[in-house]
Amino acid sequence: MATEDRRSYADGFGQVSRTVGIIFRYLLLAATLFGIAVLAILLVYVANDAIQPLTADAGWHLTFFLTLVLPSLATGGYLAWSNVDGLKLGAMTLGLFVVGLLFSGGVAIIFLEVLPPLVWFAYVIAFAVPVAVTVGLQQRSRQIPFVSRFALATLAFYLSLFGFPGIVGSYAELPQLIPSVATLILFAPIVPLDWIQLTLTVGVFAATPVALYASAISDRRTGLIAGAAALATVAASAVVGPAVVGVGPIPSVVLASVAVLPTAAYVCGTAVTREQARIGLVLPVVIVAGALAGEVLVDTLGYAGPQSWVDWQFLTSDHSGTAANAGLYPAIAGSILLMLTVAALSFPIGVGAALYLEEYAPDNRYTRFIDVNISNLAGVPSVVYGLLGLGLFVTRLGQSTGTILVGGATLALLILPIVIISSREAIRSVPSEMRQASYGMGATRWQTMKNVVLPRAFPGILTGTILALGRAIGETAPLIMIGAPNVLYSFPSELSSKVSAMPLQVYSWASYFATNDFYEKAVPAGVVVLVTVLLAMNSIAIVLRNRYQRET
Amino acid sequence: MSTDDLTEDLTRNTANAPPELLTRSFFFLCAVLSIFTTLAIIALLVTEAAKFFSVTAPLMGIEGETASVVEFLTGTEWIIGEGKFGVLALVTSTVMVTLGSAIIALPLGVATAIYLSEYADPQVRSLLKPALEILAGVPTVVYGFFALIYITPALRTVFPSIGTFNLLSASIVVGIMIIPMVASISEDAMSAVPDDLRQAGYGMGATKFEVSTGIVVPAALSGILSSFILALSRAIGETMAVTVAAGAQAKFHNPFNPAAYLDGGSPMTATMVNLLTGDITGGGLAYRSLFAIGLTLFVITFAMNVISELVAQRYREEY
Repeated sequence: MATEDRRSYADGFGQVSRTVGIIFRYLLLAATLFGIAVLAILLVYVANDAIQPLTADAGWHLTFFLTLVLPSLATGGYLAWSNVDGLKLGAMTLGLFVVGLLFSGGVAIIFLEVLPPLVWFAYVIAFAVPVAVTVGLQQRSRQIPFVSRFALATLAFYLSLFGFPGIVGSYAELPQLIPSVATLILFAPIVPLDWIQLTLTVGVFAATPVALYASAISDRRTGLIAGAAALATVAASAVVGPAVVGVGPIPSVVLASVAVLPTAAYVCGTAVTREQARIGLVLPVVIVAGALAGEVLVDTLGYAGPQSWVDWQFLTSDHSGTAANAGLYPAIAGSILLMLTVAALSFPIGVGAALYLEEYAPDNRYTRFIDVNISNLAGVPSVVYGLLGLGLFVTRLGQSTGTILVGGATLALLILPIVIISSREAIRSVPSEMRQASYGMGATRWQTMKNVVLPRAFPGILTGTILALGRAIGETAPLIMIGAPNVLYSFPSELSSKVSAMPLQVYSWASYFATNDFYEKAVPAGVVVLVTVLLAMNSIAIVLRNRYQRET
Repeated sequence: MSTDDLTEDLTRNTANAPPELLTRSFFFLCAVLSIFTTLAIIALLVTEAAKFFSVTAPLMGIEGETASVVEFLTGTEWIIGEGKFGVLALVTSTVMVTLGSAIIALPLGVATAIYLSEYADPQVRSLLKPALEILAGVPTVVYGFFALIYITPALRTVFPSIGTFNLLSASIVVGIMIIPMVASISEDAMSAVPDDLRQAGYGMGATKFEVSTGIVVPAALSGILSSFILALSRAIGETMAVTVAAGAQAKFHNPFNPAAYLDGGSPMTATMVNLLTGDITGGGLAYRSLFAIGLTLFVITFAMNVISELVAQRYREEY
């Protein structure tokens, strides 16, 4: 689109009657800003109700203004004036850290309340063994035919996860002859401490990309050193965290792997590769140091902070009949588990459907029918999906009401059309020359998908999936339809336990506990938490998309 | 020779190799799942709704209470306790919310689309588009809460007689929610209008205002109309915002009477939620009425989606 040309012509010709044009232009701008402004005002109101900044001492505001706001504004302003790239880099670093903090909160909740580290450790090892076998088989792909490799890999997975004769045997009431790898670890007489288990799993998951990133910008040796240093940091955090900051070893390990490591890797990487912009790294340092300094000063001077309803107590306690004691903890855990289930179900199916429609499907009537059908499904109201979940999963398939599995499956069906549509767009944007080149080299279709199309389309697919997941965790109606409980005191421990979710909890506070007390305290606090999480997800998606669009 | 044929030629020898067959059939199953979902929705709604109506219930082997189709479609009272199932009491509230939100969202959405497509420079656009997406990304239950806690009290200063639950505040938040939908689809249609048309307009001495309103908007009309229909269908299916803001009392209103907006009502979606959160027994008449409303809702939104597709295809100008 030749936007530039159009504009230069337009400027030349716009001289005839300026008044109407100018009025029209500003009317349009006002219309564009109207919705955004209304939402912004409403968000300010709800944040004010939830956080109550005006209840803080004047000294508290003054201290933070002097230590945090003023230096940050000065640094930001200086960067905006001298080095815009630096400002962007600083903002990205800060954003990455904040998002990492949110994520590590979520992961820590899972390990603390839902999934014991030992179970997680056992299943990760039980998965790692057959994956290693499969990779080993792949190396010998020339000697062993595909069918045998596939059968061997399947067998390895089955034995490792279920043992022999495993779940098939349990239906036939056969005795378990060989225990699975998972069982062996779960019932082993000596197991490593829980933070060592997490370091070996979550820590390794976090250190591997760090190592890959470091070897990509430098060489293999640096990569190995970086990876080892990362792993050591995670292990050290389990000792340092409890001793210095007073956080337990499990949250410390999670915090180090999910928030600290990625940020540190990004900072080190950009400091080496982007010399022009690296001055911008000062900005997050100023902000974090300012916040810490302000906190220390406020403590020593004895100024009281705002009486915020969004506090540690709100985030970590159960529902209560009195608004001031009510908390969101089980709902947060429920939302995280729902999100994981929905992602696990909708991502492979959505991408698979998109690959079929873009790469395999012949252009005929049936394909067009599937096509139209998907865009129609995207327009079906969410309550109807809720009815589907109720009628299909609960009534017909006999699942109990309101479980994670039923909720996750219903929400996955709801967002599937969105995932398919956005994945198709991402796959379509891969230039067809790249596919043809791959075919020309003798690659098969699946090899081309795996090595050419999917890596190129991945950022786009990821963006669409994150946006769709954001939609899924904001949904309330389908959860109500499948009979999720209004109030949940206990934590879901498996796929068939009852689940609550953040929007559902906010809805039940707003409708069943409709007292002014709840309207003034718990509901605004819940809304602030929910909106923060969704804004974070939307920003990740938007940042990803902007980077991706710049590259292609 | 097209690239598809080329691909076909190049991959023919390997097309039936086991890994190819395996991945291909998996992808095919994924794509077919969408058809299965549609079929499941239709089958479920139809069979369960059939158990609700007295005409079809005997066919489904249901004995006991049923409701008449005629009364369902023409009745104006929805009182479960008295066995009155008149869906019009719900449909009128839905229509009101849809009309009210349309009055807000359609002009604002089109204006936004014109601004983004014709006036905004790239820098401004890159800020405004994500901001608009956030409007659609805020959970609907949050919008409902906003309507109940902030918008209704604000409206009370203008209309002192407004109820705690009212259709006006529900319409306003639903309208704000669907602005991005109108704006993004209309903007796509406007950016697809070829530049030659604009240049021709300028060549004739038209101003930018005249080009935008006289050339771009008419040329993009099919896209704009289909965005209207899709957005309205979204407003009809909108659930949590209206459940929280509009209340739970089903009342028959005249949709074209402005005063009725100050009163509460129970749109179809809100009634469904309230039916399930109230105590209904599985399999009872109230439970089955849920599916009858669901079917009505599905038919309306499905028809609107199809119409929007047809409008977009039928009136699309090929450039």
